[in-house]
Amino acid sequence: MENRLRLLRAERHWSQQDLAGRLEVSRQSVNAIETGKYDPSLPLAFRIAELFELPIEEIFVSPSRRSSKAI
Amino acid sequence: MFAAKQRDLTPAQRAHVRRTLWLLIAYAVILPPLVWLRSHRHVTDVLLLAMAIVASLPVLGMFASWGRYLSDERDEYHQAVVLRRIAIATNVTMGAAVVWGFLQAFGLMPLIETYWVAFVWVVTQGAFGCFALFSRSGAGD
Repeated sequence: MENRLRLLRAERHWSQQDLAGRLEVSRQSVNAIETGKYDPSLPLAFRIAELFELPIEEIFVSPSRRSSKAI
Repeated sequence: MFAAKQRDLTPAQRAHVRRTLWLLIAYAVILPPLVWLRSHRHVTDVLLLAMAIVASLPVLGMFASWGRYLSDERDEYHQAVVLRRIAIATNVTMGAAVVWGFLQAFGLMPLIETYWVAFVWVVTQGAFGCFALFSRSGAGD
């Protein structure tokens, strides 16, 4: 799933390790989410949204919306 | 590089690695005297049963350690990766066991001890783990 995590993190000058620490997950988790290799669970997605004080849909791109835009 | 990998381990992974190493040491210590006893002394059936159970314990402990790891792991990504690895290893091992079983039934392959199934599972699982670890480091993860 596409997301803006890397961009949001860069805006705050956080390393992957910084973000991982704030979310209480491993750095590999942050990397896997940023690169779209892993979709976080709903609780983790909410934690990410709360950390950045943004709604979930402003961080993660809905796959169905993405495909409808492509059409 | 190995030290860096160690630092990257989650607390649950570190505990699992520690448990596995102790179990491997126990296996290496326990097995040779049992094999020697079996081939050099006359052993009663009851003692053979006890020896078989003792020889199995470290391997059973390794399976239990995997279960403990999955329940202890707080990082959902690592948990998902390990579950995927276990699913792949189980499919490969069960597939190999079925194919071997038919080949054996048709007289094309010799009879082998069934504990080799566990060995194949552990090796396959470990091989996928190493592959994932080094492909991640290759990708700059």
